[in-house]
Amino acid sequence: MARSNEVNLNECKMVVPLNTWVLISNFKLAYNLLRRPDGTFNRHLAEFLDRKVPANANPVDGVFSFDVLIDRGTSLLSRIYRPATAEEPQPNVAELEKPVTAEVVPVIIFFHGGSFAHSSANSAIYDTLCRRLVGLCKAVVLSVNYRRAPENRYPCAYDDGWTALKWVNSRPWLQSQKDSKVHIYLAGDSSGGNIVHHVALRAMESGTHVLGNILLNPMFGGQERTESEQRLDGKYFVTLRDRDWYWRAYLPEGEDRDHHACNPFGPNGRSLEGIKFPKSLVVVAGLDLIQDWQLAYVEGLKKADQEVKLLYMEQATIGFYLLPNNNHFHTVMDEISKFVGSDC
Amino acid sequence: MKRDHQDICGADGGGYGNSSGSKGESSITSKGKLWEEDQDAGDMDELMAVLGYKVRSSDMADVAQKMEQLDMAMGTAQEDGISHLAYDTVHYNPSDLSSWVQSMLTELNNPVLPNSDSNSSKPQQHQQIVSSNQSQVYNDDSEYDLRAIPGIAAYPQPKRIKTSMETDSSSSTTEPSTQPVVLVDSQEAGVRLVHTLMACAEAVQQENLKLADALVKHIGLLAASQAGAMRKVATYFAEALARRIYGVYPQDSLHPSYTDMLQMHFYETCPYLKFAHFTSNQAILEAFATSNRVHVIDFGLKQGMQWPALMQELALRPGGPPVFRLTGIGPHQPDNTDALQQVGCKLAYLAETIGVKFEFRGFMVNSLADLEPKMLDIRPPEVETLAVNSIFELHRLLARAGGIEKVLSSIKTMKPKILTIVEEEANHNSPVFVDRFTEALHYYSSLFDSLEVSGVVPPSSQDLVMSESYLGRQICNVVACEGVERVERHETLAQWRSRMKTSGFSPAHLGSNAYKQASMLLALFAGGDGYRVEENDGCLTLGWHTRPLIATSAWQVAATE
Repeated sequence: MARSNEVNLNECKMVVPLNTWVLISNFKLAYNLLRRPDGTFNRHLAEFLDRKVPANANPVDGVFSFDVLIDRGTSLLSRIYRPATAEEPQPNVAELEKPVTAEVVPVIIFFHGGSFAHSSANSAIYDTLCRRLVGLCKAVVLSVNYRRAPENRYPCAYDDGWTALKWVNSRPWLQSQKDSKVHIYLAGDSSGGNIVHHVALRAMESGTHVLGNILLNPMFGGQERTESEQRLDGKYFVTLRDRDWYWRAYLPEGEDRDHHACNPFGPNGRSLEGIKFPKSLVVVAGLDLIQDWQLAYVEGLKKADQEVKLLYMEQATIGFYLLPNNNHFHTVMDEISKFVGSDC
Repeated sequence: MKRDHQDICGADGGGYGNSSGSKGESSITSKGKLWEEDQDAGDMDELMAVLGYKVRSSDMADVAQKMEQLDMAMGTAQEDGISHLAYDTVHYNPSDLSSWVQSMLTELNNPVLPNSDSNSSKPQQHQQIVSSNQSQVYNDDSEYDLRAIPGIAAYPQPKRIKTSMETDSSSSTTEPSTQPVVLVDSQEAGVRLVHTLMACAEAVQQENLKLADALVKHIGLLAASQAGAMRKVATYFAEALARRIYGVYPQDSLHPSYTDMLQMHFYETCPYLKFAHFTSNQAILEAFATSNRVHVIDFGLKQGMQWPALMQELALRPGGPPVFRLTGIGPHQPDNTDALQQVGCKLAYLAETIGVKFEFRGFMVNSLADLEPKMLDIRPPEVETLAVNSIFELHRLLARAGGIEKVLSSIKTMKPKILTIVEEEANHNSPVFVDRFTEALHYYSSLFDSLEVSGVVPPSSQDLVMSESYLGRQICNVVACEGVERVERHETLAQWRSRMKTSGFSPAHLGSNAYKQASMLLALFAGGDGYRVEENDGCLTLGWHTRPLIATSAWQVAATE
């Protein structure tokens, strides 16, 4: 048993840069400590270990950020990232919510990953990623600090996402000059990708217009054990066992993985036929054990005649987009930029 | 906003890290004590550093290998349960990946078992506590129990000071500082109010007093139509601006007992002081773990609210409490009452009821810089373990040149095992008035906001008013005063870190046990959700939402070569 583990670790080290390997392994090891067999979660230790960064109203590399309390009742915070402009390289702290001036300003609502249990909007890895998105897409990014499992199960994360979407949509200062509307995109990785889908559903159901969905290694699953899950179990940082744990922590008690939150096109899924769903960009890492579910998601969208582009990154593992030290990273960032830029 | 690093009030602590000097510079000026840091400097993997992890590129392969070992060890231990790694192990400074992984490997390979004799086999005796069964008692599922004495007092061994990632954090302060802002009120009126306050501050800085005067009056009108925290904050800032404009500087002439009383209300209303006491006590208790005679010097005794909890912990120690000596420092009382003795007596009474041998001495000084170690009857470290404790006191020394240096130097002479420092997490000491004003506005806005919503039972209006008054006096000092009168010279953790390292101290990290217990303490406050404890490179901060507001750090005298 130990020997095959050794092989796994070595294989894994071959496909990613060393510092990426160290970074993701660090998460893997830490997360192993946090998940308890009885389904509870060591939240204190999780928060202690998570590397966080404060918001910064002073621009760094052309991006400044500030936190907003969107909903007092649930302590729902979001971090907003904006580009510093040539005309105003140092924003006035009294004017952080100054109206955007461009004809078209994409507003990306971002949901961080962490399998519904880990990380926060102010986690360093996500703060860094959101900052990149600002420059890349010439966008305003709003990163939602949604409530996490197991303390807060389905549908809390989706509720928080929806609250954030409504808030964004009702901000006059985020309206593009062209049509006085807020141009909204939803983006997220891992559980964040899952949240994107479900918040988009709510948006469609209530007539709120979302221009596009970006799903990075989105977290989906199902009761069945798929081929990729069996083949890649434990090979590239992730195990089926931990995936099961997170679903059990997020889904309502007693539900299985065919619940529609986990398996949106499964036996309990909702059909998207006839609904005007946002166009989707779905990024799948070829070494991610849940790729069969992600590919099934793409198929589900296609079958319902929805616009979807699949980016299959063959040699990519989970978390490849956290460090700009590999080609997958650059390819994906390019595609995201095109995806968001195409509505001008 | 450019920051001018020459402190025009002359309170510049020489060599403290806010200068544009590089890491190398500070190493040279500190008499070679920090030569190790000079060698360690550079070579950090930049990509990892951005994500909060300090790993040298040259160490990356080694760290990876250790992770593999840990992965395998955890894999095999799965059957037996790696729970003790999560439950009992105290984690320190997760940014230093190499040490973190190593400490877990060590834990897995040499678990500290109850009643085990295997302790003796390891050379790092002094790291493990004498009564090792403590660590197993510390069960994560336990009810909130502040009485649990932290387990293994695992301070970095002296040799780790050389190899650990103690990078000179002054590099972070050479860049423009961070301005964390949390907006809780996005309404139009609030925005206009902030605008006007800022415009007024600008006018004051440009000495356009006529404009400033007009604006200050306008602020009053705008503030009146606001509600809650924003109104109160605006009112205090407006008052402070008005004092500055009209040249009516408040004298710090209030009777100390009155200010103590204000602080008591602040203590009751919100968790900041409790957090400060609690986290400092955790560090002190760990330092005292193996001693039979202990001495605490409290730089600001006030009502002595920090010490009953510590004494109770000491009383509960298996094997009995150590002899506990407390030296309390306080200001001269205008009416010659011995306030310090009064507090000492109360503590002595408590000590007697819980069976702790207790001695107390009080010293009245106008400034900590007037203290001479000789006065304090310091006993040799072999005989008595010393802890020096400073809660919101050190920043006051920055008002006079040489003050902080003198005090830090005195502390070193005392040879404490631990020095605990709690300070406001903000830079309210910029010589540029508008910068200082802006920082303070955001800081106190967060603070007042937390007061509005905190408390299991809404605090009595008197408690709230007194707490606000306590904070209001700080605001007034930051905004309206200058020179030696301006004593609320708060500086950030990054700035203090830099100063401490330059002055010959090395960090003693606060760990996950202190973190967890502090978090649990906060959950008792109904604003619970809003209060956040964060780990910051071995220190702990308490903040409101994502804005850290106070920081606790612990220090030891750096080993000299």
